Amino acid sequence: MAPATGPRGGGGGIAHKSGPRGRGGGITKRRSDAIRTDRDGDVAMEPAARSGSGAQGAGGGTRGTRGTRGLSSRHVSTTRRIAQNLRNYAGENGAVSKSQFHKTTLKIRGLASSKAASNSDGGLRALLEFLERKSSKEKRITIGKSILDGDYVWISVNKNDASDVLHLNGYSYAGAPLEITETSERMPNKDEKISRDAEETKNKLIAVVARRYNAEQKLLDLSALGADVILSSMGTFNSANLAEKAFKALVHIASLQYKTADEKREALQAVSLARNDINDVDQVFQLAYSLPDLRRLDLSDNNLATTSKIAKWQHRFRYLEELHLTGNPIVTQENYLADLLQWFPSLQNLNGQQVRTPEQAAMSLKALDPTPLPQYPSNLRDGDNNVTALFVQAFFPMFDTDRARLAAEFYDEESWFSIAVIPNSGRPLPWKAYLKFSRNVQRLGGRSPGLVQRLFTGGNVIKDMWKVLPATRHPSMDQPGQWLIDCHTFPHLADPSGQGFATGLIINVNGRFEESDASTNMFGTRTFSRTFVLGPSKPSNPPPVHPYRVLSDQLTLHDWKPEVAIVSQAPAVAQPHVVVQAPPVVAPVPMAPVAGVLDDMTRNQLIQGLSNRTGMTAEYSELCLSGAANWNFDHALASFEEQKANLPPIAFRATA
Amino acid sequence: MNRHAAKTISFVDWYYQTVNDGKPVAIAYVNNNATYKTAAHPPADICVNGLVVATPEEWDKQLEQQRATAAPATTTSSGAAAVVTNKPGTASALTATVRYEVECYDVHVINRDYQFAAPAALLAGANKDDAAGARIMMMLTVSGTVTFGSDRSAVKQHFNDVFILVPNWDAIARHGSRSTRRYIISSHTYRAY
Repeated sequence: MAPATGPRGGGGGIAHKSGPRGRGGGITKRRSDAIRTDRDGDVAMEPAARSGSGAQGAGGGTRGTRGTRGLSSRHVSTTRRIAQNLRNYAGENGAVSKSQFHKTTLKIRGLASSKAASNSDGGLRALLEFLERKSSKEKRITIGKSILDGDYVWISVNKNDASDVLHLNGYSYAGAPLEITETSERMPNKDEKISRDAEETKNKLIAVVARRYNAEQKLLDLSALGADVILSSMGTFNSANLAEKAFKALVHIASLQYKTADEKREALQAVSLARNDINDVDQVFQLAYSLPDLRRLDLSDNNLATTSKIAKWQHRFRYLEELHLTGNPIVTQENYLADLLQWFPSLQNLNGQQVRTPEQAAMSLKALDPTPLPQYPSNLRDGDNNVTALFVQAFFPMFDTDRARLAAEFYDEESWFSIAVIPNSGRPLPWKAYLKFSRNVQRLGGRSPGLVQRLFTGGNVIKDMWKVLPATRHPSMDQPGQWLIDCHTFPHLADPSGQGFATGLIINVNGRFEESDASTNMFGTRTFSRTFVLGPSKPSNPPPVHPYRVLSDQLTLHDWKPEVAIVSQAPAVAQPHVVVQAPPVVAPVPMAPVAGVLDDMTRNQLIQGLSNRTGMTAEYSELCLSGAANWNFDHALASFEEQKANLPPIAFRATA
Repeated sequence: MNRHAAKTISFVDWYYQTVNDGKPVAIAYVNNNATYKTAAHPPADICVNGLVVATPEEWDKQLEQQRATAAPATTTSSGAAAVVTNKPGTASALTATVRYEVECYDVHVINRDYQFAAPAALLAGANKDDAAGARIMMMLTVSGTVTFGSDRSAVKQHFNDVFILVPNWDAIARHGSRSTRRYIISSHTYRAY
């Protein structure tokens, strides 16, 4: 990779740090090298034009040396500059005038059309020298800040000197008339100029990308970039480093033309990098970042010698289906296909030859991802007494319809209950009703008083807390696909008699329920995990309703995912390490019709909610819910959307 | 009263960090605790997605299988291993990551007077460790998201872990022990969907 510019690195002289006045370059050449340096301390760019011109002003207006700098020793130059500054600083009567606060900004037009515009710096330095030299015969004029920005050169000079510089208005400079005006506009600063320059470069690159994009083939043709007129005019190929940057910029800009990743994936499926003299994909690695989902890539007629020159891209283009390497030395290598097949899982076509069927490609792509563990149906190991089935079949319908009775039947003063929620974004329902109760240790931390406040102990407390929770409707237990229930017995609970150990039963239920929140009029479905620990009931008088009680009840709510509890995911192949595989799921028990499970309050809430959402009257809302939707709010809403057009006007509430 | 919750923080941190690092967690189960083994505690009950797993080592193996991609290891056909320098800031495309991200957990004490295999000193109740409520059995439920792979299109699942934790007497009896495993697993029910 060649350096960007010759002279800076090519000076050869011993470099040393400049003094405190060193500007820009930071490194300056020794005076004794007899190599002239410009104002940045760089070696002069045009030694030929300056040769033999020892005297100030020699070599014509545009080629003179600015001021004394560059000619005289830096020491002398610095001394003079200090003297000049002092003179400026002390006014004519010797009083200190804050002249540095009395600068005037001048705008000069004409440089762009002068012959000097073709200088490497756009002619700025030469113009400044010209101005400083020509403005006044009596005194030395020093120009402060200057910047070349488009057609204008902006300079700042002392107020006192401004008239002298303005005097040059209309003068011819290097074949073009100068137009010098005073301005109150703020001088553009370097950053603005850079960003504008960058903008300009970007626009040029966008033009290149646009010209090289083939919408029909969804192809970005970056082949033979070296022959690109626009890129060449931008000096892109003056060095390999610059060419790589230009490539990066092109790919980046191309990928920025799309609002979403999906849009980009759809519109940019192919890239050609043919005929670019690439000898390692590292040079164009950026492609893998910007267009990771590329499907077709043409690398033909480059200089890739072995697979190791492509290795940096391995596993990068997961969806690459077609690759062309014709015209690279690599194609004479034995067995290079094996590597490519391994590295590019979707590769099907190499140099026009089919190397994989689409099915094989799909399989090898899938093989790259880890696979979730298989899902098995509910696993009930409750010690042959069917406690779990009886418990859950009693529990969930009662939770939907009669929470007070539920708490009285299954909970006693030692029972614990708490709720924890994962309020993910994009949720279908608000979490407000639950958040104030959420006992999420992850959020609260281990020492929060909230941990105590949000733990509900004792059946009566739990019952009261349940009253304020939104109404729910769990699916019927005869729909095993809706439930995942795992349970097993475990030893070493405290026996309620105070003597020895008791056996416990832990039941983990994953499922979903429909919810209607009267306070917010929101309806929808939530997924939940609920874990119970059951232990023997305390001996009491009258005897407890059930021989067991809930010691612990933890409810976790998360956002609704439709794919929950898909039992059919279980693979048909039996696993070798099955120890106990209990009969799947709760035995189906005939349940009352679902609507019968709903109490009037819930039903009215559903009706009201549907009416609010759809604008239908309460009667029509009820019809809609009680029909095929079977009191499922989502179904009712869906059937409304279907039938909306066919509904008579009478179905809708009168709008005010 | 709520000290039990604080006790589980280090457990949760350790457990999921270890799993995400691809390291074994078998050591955290009662099966591998000498005191419980000597006292003939039954092996931990481990049930993964509805399937009983016999030992914690078997569970580690399943986690390993879950991490493994079906893609073969990469060598070049020439036999020389390709030198692949990953660009900084990107995970190696070969490392299939399965990442568990805990979003929520809660814990209840289910036995406030846990005695199984407890050292006599702790049973006497005079021990200051027990004053801190060490002699308890807890049920811990953890939920979050598990991500399979690092690709944008990586599969994500919701996971729900339920643990029954019992005291690791050896760690508790050692005063000031900084062991992260003051509680060990006697039951583990896992579901991810």
